[in-house]
Amino acid sequence: MIEAALVMVLLLNLAMLSASRLATCIRLLAMQCAVLSVLPLALHAGGEGMSLVHGAGVMAGTLALKVVLIPALLLRAIRTTEIPREVEPLIGFTTSVLIGSLLIAAAFAVRGRLPLPIAPVSPMLLPVAISTALIGLLILVSRIKAITQVVGYLVLENGIFLFGLLLMRQMPLLVELGILLDVFVGVFVMAIVVHHIRREFDHLDTQRLSEPAAGAAA
Amino acid sequence: MILAWMLIAPLLAAPGCLLLPSSLLRRFSVVAGCGAHLALIAISWNSPSDAIWNGYLALDPLNHLLLSLISLLFAATSVFLIGYHQRSDVSKRVFQACILALLSALTLACLSQHLGLMWVGLEASSLAATPLIYFHLGPRALEATWKFLLMNSVGIAIALLGVFAVALASTQLEIGLLMPAMIENATRMDPAWLRAGFLLALVGFGTKLGLAPLHSWKPDAYGEAPPPVAALFAGAMTLAALLGILRFQQICVAAQLGAFTGQWLCGFGLLSIAVAGLFILNNTDYRRILAYTSVEHVGVLAIGAGIAASGGAYAAMLHATHNTLNKGILFLTAGILLRTFQTTRATELRGLLRQRPGIALMLLVGLLATSAAPPFGMFYSELGVIFAAVATGHWIVAAGLVLTLAVVFVALMTRVLPMVLGTPSEAMTAAASANPPETRWRRWVMTAPVLGLITVAVAIAVYPPRPLRSALDAAAEAMAHPGSAIAQARQSTPPAPGPVEVVATSPSEPRWHSKNKGEIVEKRLDRQAPVLAEARP
Repeated sequence: MIEAALVMVLLLNLAMLSASRLATCIRLLAMQCAVLSVLPLALHAGGEGMSLVHGAGVMAGTLALKVVLIPALLLRAIRTTEIPREVEPLIGFTTSVLIGSLLIAAAFAVRGRLPLPIAPVSPMLLPVAISTALIGLLILVSRIKAITQVVGYLVLENGIFLFGLLLMRQMPLLVELGILLDVFVGVFVMAIVVHHIRREFDHLDTQRLSEPAAGAAA
Repeated sequence: MILAWMLIAPLLAAPGCLLLPSSLLRRFSVVAGCGAHLALIAISWNSPSDAIWNGYLALDPLNHLLLSLISLLFAATSVFLIGYHQRSDVSKRVFQACILALLSALTLACLSQHLGLMWVGLEASSLAATPLIYFHLGPRALEATWKFLLMNSVGIAIALLGVFAVALASTQLEIGLLMPAMIENATRMDPAWLRAGFLLALVGFGTKLGLAPLHSWKPDAYGEAPPPVAALFAGAMTLAALLGILRFQQICVAAQLGAFTGQWLCGFGLLSIAVAGLFILNNTDYRRILAYTSVEHVGVLAIGAGIAASGGAYAAMLHATHNTLNKGILFLTAGILLRTFQTTRATELRGLLRQRPGIALMLLVGLLATSAAPPFGMFYSELGVIFAAVATGHWIVAAGLVLTLAVVFVALMTRVLPMVLGTPSEAMTAAASANPPETRWRRWVMTAPVLGLITVAVAIAVYPPRPLRSALDAAAEAMAHPGSAIAQARQSTPPAPGPVEVVATSPSEPRWHSKNKGEIVEKRLDRQAPVLAEARP
């Protein structure tokens, strides 16, 4: 069950790299978050010494913020700003999927060199976490639009969340909810800034942020 | 309870900023929030305050010093803002509420003894700071805001990975993530994951601190945000980010990894100072020039922290103190300049000394203090860092530090001195005389906090009061020997401040660079008189 979820996460990573439409990209991200939100409870069921309240709390927080609210915010930002809805990658889709697969392979290859002090639930957890974080960074640097950079940030955050699953026992529930809340408010602020970028520049291209649209005050 | 009030007091004043009907009342509620915070800090200096929430929030020497500095700067800036805000069509309500939220978030980041909670506070402070940069609107401010938000969010996400790595290193010990427990058990942690955690945290919090090469958001954000906000960023937010790095370093030093962390901190620090020197020469916007001086000073802080065990810790804490006061003076003066002449270009401002002697003198004082001229505190702190580097045989660090500091000095002088001296241009005279006379009271309200900060800075540089000296000592001790500092705190006897003393070391204490030519130098700089250390064979 846990392994199936982790494989899903990896596949969704690659799917996001190849998605050509913004809305698809955001929906894939929501799916990834949904898969991730199941993991804490699965860990509890697997007898990982984590309390039911803790697992359920993290799951509820992830579901509410990352699966429902954040994608809704981002989809709304696309709708209201009427930007061209293609992704506009700096690196082509095929190439990015290829690089993504290489990153995954590399993450699995270095697994042996990172000895964990505790036996993880699944030997796949650490490489999947690392490769998800790396693919998040890849999306962040290889896509031009502000919205896709937010998506990249969230994928990076998902990778870190996976890494955090290794040590759920040490993080009190309140701190984890604080982290989730921070991520949510962060995306909320980013969505507002994206809205302003659209109004100010007539485009969402972060490479051209320094040249204002005609008529805008310099 | 005091600690909880420190968190809550600024937030209590925030609704006042949003809801009160008159603009003046709203500005005063900002002052009330920051003033209440400063008053609570003053109480905490007189009577020790207990840890709350099962030890999650507690004062220790390190965060007490840094939080006091943050609070002082916020109080000065809140007074400054009364005069700075002008009637405009941009609503200032959210802006003022965000300043108070920033103070509260920084307080949380400083007070928390739990690494995860500290991360939450630091990330919250980035988010509270974002609307402050976008205050003046316009495309350039927007670019700066996006850069700041994205770089800081990604950086701090990487730092979270660092927190998790350290948690993983200690996961078998079942000690949680509270600082005292982690320091006490540091030697039993997994060193590989501890190293990984430190590097991730250094990169992550280093982005927020603005260490080169992660500083690229800094000139944009400081250049586009209103100057008082830049003062808060450069003087207060950097301290909280520095504390983030210092927490990880404390654990690593206690785990005998001090040599490893030291070389990385020194590397980043030297690069920052060098980059700052080169880019100051290249800039014409005086706020960006000041932003690069901030890059320089966090570089000095990083080097001081890197050679903490050999007198660098005291110098670093001294530098942090004067950095905060100094950035307050400089950026608030920049705010007065901007209000008076309505320009941010250094090349357009000439001959301030004839035009506005008062402002020119404040700028000159700030400039001399920044470039570490003798009567000011940074002279002692930077000299202390250099001496500490020499004393431990870090010749490369010492040489690089002297060379890069000289470059920064020359660059800063060639850029800013013409602003003070020279002949004023006609455009300047016109802009200065165009200011209506009713702004005179504003000028006084803006000048008063700057003069106050200058007084404090000079006073504690010339004759540091005893409580400050012992606070600096205790903070330096917590940095250099976290293990023994914790043990001493257990016995609740703070180390007595005294003349230059050689700290006796027990074998269990972490020894920094013990393999370095077999010489171990322990020494504390006291009374700001940097004395060459006696190297013990």
